[in-house]
Amino acid sequence: MLYRKKGPLIAFLLPGFIMLFIFLYVPFVDNIRNSFYNMKGFVELQKFIGLSNYQEMLQDSKLHIALINSLKMMVLTVVFQVGIALLLAVLVSNIKRGQQFFRTVYFFPIVISATAIGLLFNLFYNYSGGALNQILAAFGKEPVNWLSAATAFIMIVIPTIWSYVGFYFVIILTGLCDISEDIYEAAAIDGCTKFQAVTRITLPLLRGVICTCITLAVTGALKVFDLPWVIAPQGAPGGITHFMGTYMYQMAFVNLNVDYGAAIAVVIVVLGIAVSLIINKLLKPDENL
Amino acid sequence: MQKFKKVVALLVASLMVFGTLSACGSGSTKTTEANSDGTVADGETTDAGDTGVTNEKITLTTASMMGGTDPNTDAYQAVIDAFTEKYPNVTIEDSSQVSDQTWKAKVAAQFSVGDEPDVIQFFTDNNASEVLASDQFVTIEEIREVYPEYAADITDSAWQASANPDGVNRAVPTTGYWEGLYCNKDLFDEYDLALPTDWDSFITAVETFKENGITPVAVSLNEVPHYWIEHLMLSKAGGEEFTTVPTDADGNLVAEAPESWVEGLTILKDLYDMGAFPEDSQTISNDAANELFKTKQAAMQLDGSWYSGGIDDQENTVVIAFPVVENGNKKANDIIGGLSSGFYITRKAWDDPLKRAAAVEFVMMNTSTEQIEIYWGGNGMATVELEAPDDMTPLGVSGLELSNNATGTFAPTDARLAGEAYSAIITSAVDLVNGTKTAEEILNQALQINIDSQE
Repeated sequence: MLYRKKGPLIAFLLPGFIMLFIFLYVPFVDNIRNSFYNMKGFVELQKFIGLSNYQEMLQDSKLHIALINSLKMMVLTVVFQVGIALLLAVLVSNIKRGQQFFRTVYFFPIVISATAIGLLFNLFYNYSGGALNQILAAFGKEPVNWLSAATAFIMIVIPTIWSYVGFYFVIILTGLCDISEDIYEAAAIDGCTKFQAVTRITLPLLRGVICTCITLAVTGALKVFDLPWVIAPQGAPGGITHFMGTYMYQMAFVNLNVDYGAAIAVVIVVLGIAVSLIINKLLKPDENL
Repeated sequence: MQKFKKVVALLVASLMVFGTLSACGSGSTKTTEANSDGTVADGETTDAGDTGVTNEKITLTTASMMGGTDPNTDAYQAVIDAFTEKYPNVTIEDSSQVSDQTWKAKVAAQFSVGDEPDVIQFFTDNNASEVLASDQFVTIEEIREVYPEYAADITDSAWQASANPDGVNRAVPTTGYWEGLYCNKDLFDEYDLALPTDWDSFITAVETFKENGITPVAVSLNEVPHYWIEHLMLSKAGGEEFTTVPTDADGNLVAEAPESWVEGLTILKDLYDMGAFPEDSQTISNDAANELFKTKQAAMQLDGSWYSGGIDDQENTVVIAFPVVENGNKKANDIIGGLSSGFYITRKAWDDPLKRAAAVEFVMMNTSTEQIEIYWGGNGMATVELEAPDDMTPLGVSGLELSNNATGTFAPTDARLAGEAYSAIITSAVDLVNGTKTAEEILNQALQINIDSQE
């Protein structure tokens, strides 16, 4: 037994637990209760309405759009965010010089606030005088409404994915550094090509890291809020770019429908837990550890 | 040594727990701080100014709508600076912001959980219903029992207009507002167009500007469609019907919008289909829409009196009353406006012997005749007797004329409907122009929400 006396352990664990209990679990339970009431303002419980808010969700077409967008975002983050990060990490780990430079370059967007990135892309997308339309104008082309119904979703997805590639890049690169050079050298002696080394050695040994990245990416996609809200507030145009997070915020803080917002928040948590469990079940990240 | 380490570890952990708990409970701590001369006072109040502001170090929390892009932001900050210079022992923690829906929600939440500021400039009409329900404001009557000279310069009509929905005055109003149609007169002159004082000339202007590649009307339908919704409904319904929330014969609220409201709101879609609004009106931010107007890329914009201060070209911009729509019931010079905000002192500050005088003094500095003249600047409505400034710009003059010539001044819909109901209308503007929802559906749904919220 490493620690015979539990006192110090408890003393160190207690502050964190108290913080979580007061600022996370109590509000969370409160939020679940609020979703069953008609609320006046943010605190006053007006009338018990049972499952009304949850029934309303079944009819709410904008919530359905938000849910579909969030699911689409999950797939896109796994394919592009983790995929591009993996590709870049493998490429960078194979170069001898300039590795630090590329690490910095790819990680850089992470240190910029999402609001700043959102405003930056707003300046790109602006119909009147935006950077993209200025480029088109230079070629004598008509300006394009980049945030129109046809293109708005993809225009929001691009910066959202781009801004987080560096995060997964660094995690995967760290995982790559943990793989012993001896394995690659032994494989090379046996006639293994670079491509075979990636598919037969790197990827299998990175399984745990990739699974962690996928879990983080998928749950992160469900919570996405800041960038879409800055680029296209209130799911503009017409609510078609809402995600679960932005729709919940709009209902609670813009439409002031606090109880419905609370119900959406509960659904987001339930979905997050369900998706994490499914991912863990499918990928079994601990199998090779 | 091992024992010593354990003792130190326990001590550190205990301090962390204690620190966390004491941070959580800061609201109940008693102020006992050193004065500037080094002596320590415990709750004593000493006369230091007209209202007897304490000499002790205190922090006064304040909030107002004069933040961000509001033209009075600097003037309000100057009051804070003057106050802290006069009373160096008082620290002002101000959290002023532009009064959008998010800010209103934030303030409502603060009051709900007992985290309200000591002094706040907030709405006096139905927008404040949730906050008023918490019963955290001191009435003017109660304040005047202790400070008879409190807000003595405010006119009777201003007190009347700024009473809360229950008829009680709690806030000291500074300025009122009007809303009108801003026009880039130089663009109208360039295309030989008459200012849109009637609906025909408005439609002609929209068509002409559209043909010539100029955005006729700058608006963000996604963020701030408020002015258009209000003016179209007032223009069609006329003042009386516009300001009457529909009820049945027994006086019970009903979720059936009057025909005139529906017809008025439907015109928004007609104008959208005509191409009156920017190409990206469904996604453009309000700031970007403002820039379209200010940089002469758009010819007209509906906005409030607060907008005029931010317009650079004061010479070639005018503001006029919104024209009467076809078969509309509004009088030509009926406008939307009123006195809907003022400075409140919260019960928390009033009951605190250290903060009471400071809060009163802060409000009095903000609502003195001199300060109201600065906030007013010839723009909107003043709540004290003032002469029009001599150096008014043509835009300022047109705003004053708009206000002086008003045959009726009507408060916008959010003064009568619950916040959640009003938000349901505002956030549906894009659905309306897209044809996803009809005006009737939007209004009836909002009226139903209003009924539900009254239960």
